[in-house]
Amino acid sequence: MAAFIASRLSQVRRSLLGSLTNGRVSGLLGSASETTGNHLFAQQQQRTFIQMRTKLNVVDNSGAKQVMCIQALKGKKGARLGDIIVASVKEARPGGKVKKGDVVRAVVVRAAMQRGRCDGSEVKFDDNACVILNKQGEPVGTRVFGPVPHELRQKKHLKILTMAEHLA
Amino acid sequence: MRLEKCWFCSSTIYPGHGIQFVRNDAKIFRFCRSKCHKNFKMKRNPRKVKWTKAYRRVHGKDMTQDTTFEFERKRNRPERYDRNIAEQTLKAIKGIVKTRHHRAQNHIKNRMKGNKRKEQEMEQEELKHGITLVKAPHVLQEEPPFTLPKVKVKTAPAQEEKIRAMEE
Repeated sequence: MAAFIASRLSQVRRSLLGSLTNGRVSGLLGSASETTGNHLFAQQQQRTFIQMRTKLNVVDNSGAKQVMCIQALKGKKGARLGDIIVASVKEARPGGKVKKGDVVRAVVVRAAMQRGRCDGSEVKFDDNACVILNKQGEPVGTRVFGPVPHELRQKKHLKILTMAEHLA
Repeated sequence: MRLEKCWFCSSTIYPGHGIQFVRNDAKIFRFCRSKCHKNFKMKRNPRKVKWTKAYRRVHGKDMTQDTTFEFERKRNRPERYDRNIAEQTLKAIKGIVKTRHHRAQNHIKNRMKGNKRKEQEMEQEELKHGITLVKAPHVLQEEPPFTLPKVKVKTAPAQEEKIRAMEE
């Protein structure tokens, strides 16, 4: 009997409190979620295929800083992690092996779009990055910066793997 | 093959599950499912999200410091396979799991200690204040008021059972 009364009392109290505070709380919550949404949208890297006009960072010491994809050599929709693209050099350091305006081949070593692994899990990276290749398919530079996926082994880019700082 | 732990919720990731995100400084974040990945993208702190292991650890909900967890620790040194050791390990696993289970139950029991008394006291208080809702004051003067039955609660903390003898 006593317990029953106690529970009834607490219920009444709760409902009263709820009706008092409901309006204000919902307003606050709404505004908070909106602001966080905008913030996120500004920071997110676009996660799609690497297609024509996609700009990629160059993570070797070939002299190029940024390239723009002009053709993916594989796939209808575009290139993904580990694929080879044709790119035009947009920014380059002076005195490098590659000059601004050159049309080069490059292999995508990091992609923000996730790529399935052989066991069914997925991997994705922070940015879109590539390493420049010559006509024979060998890397032009002698160093590779940042992490590189082990999938490059299957694509026969062993040289890049040995030069890489980290494997992911 | 290695069973990794989810960065967000600390659950085990079996091969072929989840997604991993590689940051540009080569730190790998593994997630067991899209739920954890999304929470990471929303920049939530796992210590502040109630359903994660990290939260439960911080707030003392789970048993965290125990010798049984030592066996599950990540080791970077590869062990040479030895049939005898493998057999003994397999045998020991059963015992270790049992001990851990037992200790976890004890932990919960200890944490819940004193809750019953607290509840009783709260109900007493509520009854004292709300008794006039059930019976008018002048009726109360004629009859004795409600009282909760006395419940005996052990005050002396029972000694934690000591089962330190671990079988390896």
